Amino acid sequence: MRATVKLEDLEEAREIRRRYANWDYIRKQPPRIRVALEYYVETGDLYVASRIAGVTIEEFNELRIKAGIPNVC
Amino acid sequence: MSAREPEFAIADTCFLIDWARYRHRDVLFKLFKTVFVPETILREVKSENTIAWIASNLAKGRLTLYTETADVVSEATSIVEASKRSPHLISVELPEAVCLAVGRRRGYVVLTENRGLILFSSISSDYRDVAIWRALEVIAMASLKELLEIECSDLEARFKEYEEDTKHLFPRRDLSRVVEVLRVELCRSR
Repeated sequence: MRATVKLEDLEEAREIRRRYANWDYIRKQPPRIRVALEYYVETGDLYVASRIAGVTIEEFNELRIKAGIPNVC
Repeated sequence: MSAREPEFAIADTCFLIDWARYRHRDVLFKLFKTVFVPETILREVKSENTIAWIASNLAKGRLTLYTETADVVSEATSIVEASKRSPHLISVELPEAVCLAVGRRRGYVVLTENRGLILFSSISSDYRDVAIWRALEVIAMASLKELLEIECSDLEARFKEYEEDTKHLFPRRDLSRVVEVLRVELCRSR
């Protein structure tokens, strides 16, 4: 058993993140956090998003959950 | 399932931070003798719950700190560069690349939720044989080994619990595939 990812899965995951995201919550965040959450919705990359936000990965993961964005993997 | 049972794994931060929220998180230590965690992980956790879980399992030897060596970091940097060269790949960042390099060198299972890393490893001849598991595969393997209680009438239950605990969604296609494996392997004889 091994994890697999297909390129077409990536667009599907992006659509799911966009659909579930609480955009009102995201728009109310300070600029750095807002941009990082938007980056996460588009890419699903928790590490880079946390660096953009200037917080640890776990802190950004909490922000992701508050913003209603699922981690799709 | 592979013929040889894996003893060791190495986990990246994205895997561990979500996994630490799972109600059945300790099943990980029934699958592996120890799970290595790169030192950088400790800088990325803040919550008392996660730190306490990591510290108590470090104390028990179920988690072990992995200190990156220069040659591993060099290999990981090559992985990052290779991922950025191809327009068909998602960028891989250094912390996850370290786990893949260690997985290849030591034969450890790599625990990650990073799609870039999974995609890169599947198309790179050097890394194709490295075992890479997401939470999906960990729960599936724990179920196959009957380390998690599974009801054939609701094979998705343990996966749904993970989704509830972590706000992590498994791709439906992958979940269906794994549930079918469980149905064939576990439920046919019951």
